[in-house]
Amino acid sequence: MLHAPCKVKRIMFVDFFYKLKDVGIPVSPTSFLTLHKALGSGLVNSLEDFYTASRAILIKSERYFDLYDQVFAHYFQGADLPDPEGLELDEVARVMLEAWLQNPEGLAEILGMDESALMKLTPEELIEYFKERLKEQTEAHHGGGKWIGTGGYSPVGHSGYHPGGMRVGGGSGNKSAVKVAMDRRYKDYSLSGPLNSALMGEALKRLRNLVPFGPKDQVNIDETIYQTMKNGGEIEIVFDRSLKDRLKIILAIDNGGWSMDPYVPVVQTLFDYARAQFKDLKTYFFHNTIYNTLWQDTARYKKPQRIDQFARLDPETRLIIVGDASMAPYELMATDGSIHLEDRSGMPSVECLNFLARTFPRAVWLNPVSASMWDYTRTITHIRQIFPMFELTIDGLEQAVTQLMQK
Amino acid sequence: MTENLNQTFAGATRYVLDDELAKIVNISMALEMPLLLKGEPGTGKTMLAHAIAESLKMPLIVLNVKSSMKLVEALYQYDTLTRLNDSRFGDSTRDVSKIEDYIRMGKIGQAFTADVRTVLLIDEIDKADTDFQDDMLDVLDQMEFDIIEIDKTISATFRPVIIITSNAKKDLSDPFLGRCNFHHIAFPEPEMMRKIIRVHFPEIDSDLLENTIAAFYAVRDFGDIEKRPATRELINWIRALQADPDFKPKQLAKGDLPYLGVLFKKSQDLHRAQSMVSRRRAN
Repeated sequence: MLHAPCKVKRIMFVDFFYKLKDVGIPVSPTSFLTLHKALGSGLVNSLEDFYTASRAILIKSERYFDLYDQVFAHYFQGADLPDPEGLELDEVARVMLEAWLQNPEGLAEILGMDESALMKLTPEELIEYFKERLKEQTEAHHGGGKWIGTGGYSPVGHSGYHPGGMRVGGGSGNKSAVKVAMDRRYKDYSLSGPLNSALMGEALKRLRNLVPFGPKDQVNIDETIYQTMKNGGEIEIVFDRSLKDRLKIILAIDNGGWSMDPYVPVVQTLFDYARAQFKDLKTYFFHNTIYNTLWQDTARYKKPQRIDQFARLDPETRLIIVGDASMAPYELMATDGSIHLEDRSGMPSVECLNFLARTFPRAVWLNPVSASMWDYTRTITHIRQIFPMFELTIDGLEQAVTQLMQK
Repeated sequence: MTENLNQTFAGATRYVLDDELAKIVNISMALEMPLLLKGEPGTGKTMLAHAIAESLKMPLIVLNVKSSMKLVEALYQYDTLTRLNDSRFGDSTRDVSKIEDYIRMGKIGQAFTADVRTVLLIDEIDKADTDFQDDMLDVLDQMEFDIIEIDKTISATFRPVIIITSNAKKDLSDPFLGRCNFHHIAFPEPEMMRKIIRVHFPEIDSDLLENTIAAFYAVRDFGDIEKRPATRELINWIRALQADPDFKPKQLAKGDLPYLGVLFKKSQDLHRAQSMVSRRRAN
């Protein structure tokens, strides 16, 4: 794994790697090893190079660029780096073992080792072997504790290394990598950005149910060929119906009360998107939780819709409920729990929700409240037992769509 | 910023390549890994691949990914129709009994069989489904594929430099990302934008240039816009403004922005932008 001795003192960036992991960037051990391979390639000769290389190799989404910048700036701002020994080696060897178990070929290839030889070793022996390899690597670098050194610039300069490689100009030296990182150029791309409808579109794209529909006006080529062959060459053209999206969706939105107010924009976006995207979409509104009635108008008094009527609808209909599911427990459990008098009909809301869950087996509850807070609200815990609940974020939406499209 | 301007395919269009990207390309080449470029539409990802090919002095092969595309189409095609035609009319030099004569290389196949090292641009990978993406990376990993019809394996003579672009806001699958290096092209800063505009309008007067760029970045900052205007829209907007004999660049500074429809392509966006502009003028 070691190639020509490199001017820059480098050490295992175990700490840096774990910092990235700690702040929640999905960095894989395999990519970490790839980074080491890059360090051995002779192309990484300064902190600037390292900044660029490790970002290109470790970070796979611009959403994490900002976090990366922050960790980088924090980590490399002239700080002395601890010696990569003892614990850290163990830790990295363990991670390597995990990677090895998942993908033996890949790791062997990256380390330039023979896979079959390693196969014979026990896990303990493997860890020892990895540790040896890692030690060998750190020692060969003359134990530099500090990565930023005055000698940190390669005599190769304008990256003459790679035959046919791209020319790198020398003009960028006036701004250090740490400075660049501190600029936080990628702040706008970070995960904390708003959930806009383009992102939602991506997440909801798979929410489709294509079924044959309409006149038979599409030639099925495979079938035509097969039937023609069967006919001994006499041409037999087979037609099919085209596929149409026939997915029925009911969207029920909690639009009442101050507790939902902070989430109005995101719910609005979801609603806009859904209205533009789904042909067979019914939208209803409720406050806090569902009793006997849902409303078709946002003000919740003009157009009521009794939920027992839903029993007549196609059970294939997907029900998506959006709400924070946070309320006083009696609103959910008591027979006359509703804070609206006209709703007091004798059936507790929890029964109504159960009824909906039975009527539409494919239903989800999207909650704009962060999942980490769910355990602190009793009614959320209750409702989660009735409907699978997902966070109203890109990831949550995706999981919800998977849930809805399950067979 | 390096000034190694590169002549791209369009001849008149030039692209400014920055150091950071050059480094990333070099590292990807050394590691023999594909480079995934992401960025807003209109940041010139495709142009960049052309510039890379230009600066490496390698031929560029472009695979435009389509949603209905099957992987085999990118590898090779068995031209059954020509073979049928030849067998009926037999007026070609091809040997009908040799299927190999009727195998045509797709774009990936061309890159593998080329007798020089090439740059392979796989454009808009996000259009294809996940299976296509993963299968394609398998081929690119192993640098070989089989032609089933003639039971032959095509291995790459030279490992092409692979550039992949994606518009997707959503991330690609983890195994895919694991095998690529990644770079995100940010939207150009005003400074860069000036350069770009000057390339497109060498004759533009600085009054118009400054005013349009200022106005452009101001409208890009409007909230609630689904599709924010990009470089392409700005260029068209300048064209529209230049075509209007009554237009004075000073109007823009006063907040009078004509032809907003050129910048905002979605009716909802246009609506919001218009109300935003009129509100600003009222203040």
